Amino acid sequence: MEFGGPFFKEFAAAWSEKDGYRLSRTLYPDLPTEKLRKIWRSQNEHDIKGALRRGLQNSGAALEGLVNNETQGWIEVYIAYWKAVGDILAARESSSDNSKSSQVVWDKACDAWRDLLIVLIRGYQNHGFEAWTIPCLYVVGRHLRLFSIKADDERSINNSFDDNTATNFQDDVDPETGKHEKLEECARVLNRMFMLCATDRAPIEESRKWGIYYIVNLLLKTYFKLNSVSLSKNVLRMLAAGQQDMPAFSAFPKSQQVTFKYHEGVLYFWEENYVEAEKHLTHAWNLCHKDAIRNKELILTYLIPCHLITTHTLPTEKLLEPYPRLQKLFLPLCRCIKKGELHLFDLALQEGEEEFVRRRIYLTLERGRDIALRNLLRKVFIARGFEDAKEGEKPVRRSRVPIAEFAAAISLGSQEKVDNDEVECHLANMIYKVSQASVTFSRSRFGSIAISPFPQ
Amino acid sequence: MASTQTTSKKDDKAAETKPDQQQQAAAEPKPAALEEDDEFEDFPVDDWQTEETEAASGDGTTQHLWEESWDDDDTSDDFSAQLKEELKKVEASRKR
Repeated sequence: MEFGGPFFKEFAAAWSEKDGYRLSRTLYPDLPTEKLRKIWRSQNEHDIKGALRRGLQNSGAALEGLVNNETQGWIEVYIAYWKAVGDILAARESSSDNSKSSQVVWDKACDAWRDLLIVLIRGYQNHGFEAWTIPCLYVVGRHLRLFSIKADDERSINNSFDDNTATNFQDDVDPETGKHEKLEECARVLNRMFMLCATDRAPIEESRKWGIYYIVNLLLKTYFKLNSVSLSKNVLRMLAAGQQDMPAFSAFPKSQQVTFKYHEGVLYFWEENYVEAEKHLTHAWNLCHKDAIRNKELILTYLIPCHLITTHTLPTEKLLEPYPRLQKLFLPLCRCIKKGELHLFDLALQEGEEEFVRRRIYLTLERGRDIALRNLLRKVFIARGFEDAKEGEKPVRRSRVPIAEFAAAISLGSQEKVDNDEVECHLANMIYKVSQASVTFSRSRFGSIAISPFPQ
Repeated sequence: MASTQTTSKKDDKAAETKPDQQQQAAAEPKPAALEEDDEFEDFPVDDWQTEETEAASGDGTTQHLWEESWDDDDTSDDFSAQLKEELKKVEASRKR
């Protein structure tokens, strides 16, 4: 909104209702170019400070408790916003102008927007900004992340363009260095924003702690993009340390709860702590909005492998039905695990390798091979049928299975011969890993397995 | 003599596969560029009622999500039939 009468009215209205979301809308950057131009042209470098001072003081917000020191803070915020708008406008105009396509245009806009966030943070530190205004932090923080990604992308496209025209022989230069330069700077400022909220000592009802999960989510998303598990874990640790002075987790909006639980779950997943991971991912799943298909898909991408490891069971077709992408990702593997088709399992894993590795679920899924093997061995056991029953007694399964039969089953798909020692080794491993019941296995001409060798 | 023949054959093979590989390499960056973002999306709304959650849209349990058991007792499929054949062969050869 350009800096004129309506703007000051809007500011005062947000103030009288103490509506932080309404106030935060005066700091939006993603407006139509025409509107941005109006904002930019409504002021100039020389007059803006005086105009804002007069406007804010006369807006009626003063009657609602806006004090002088605070006014000074907001003046600085809006000056920083106005400057950033100018740079965003310039970036938009030159990126639509094709003749300058190889130029880096978003760098400057990104820097100006970061300055805005720093000024805003300072408002809370030095000018006594109240906690109800924290949605302003959300808006500015969220867009800083977006501008940073945009600036980094733009630079890397230009760099690859340069690499093509002039061959670069410097092998020792790491192309990854500086690839996320802006996003890394952004993460540092977001981290300051996190500390600003985490360390607030005000009573809980007027505390900036209410902003913490929004900001943590923003920070975790950023660290995920930067591929930094350790920094993400740091945030969780700091959060856990301050837990006793925090409002209850369930008191936060569900969008924040779900986003947080998803990231927490995925972090545990990457640490191979599948029990914890499943707990958090299930929490995220249950609270997730039923229409948020893409997010539900992401939750399941990790929840399904998790569940496979913790309970050895597979997703039902009904669960996967609404998600064609997940069907493509998991169904071939699931089918092979269920049927015990070892060879096809290996092929399916190979087939999806690139995708699995990208999502960091390959190693987890690889462990599904044990389950496929277990299911195959069970089929051999079932296929042996029953002992000849004595009259009046229940038939008993034939529990003595020749090693050769297991061997034949294992090599069935691949047609690769396995020798008996290897099969015995597999069996011993299976018994160790899978079976919790007491099972005997003696080395003889037959593998001898006691009753109920395939416990649930 | 034999060895030179095999190497020349190998070379032929390599020459044949090369254009394919190059084509593949040229095609590869494309899906990467089109690759969808893996990021968790911002929800369009901040908060919602319990009735609108995933848990409420099902029957309130997670039972329907997962198969009840890992045992596959369906023995009518091709693989099970193939397996049975194979096991019969093993048994037959042992009896001999």
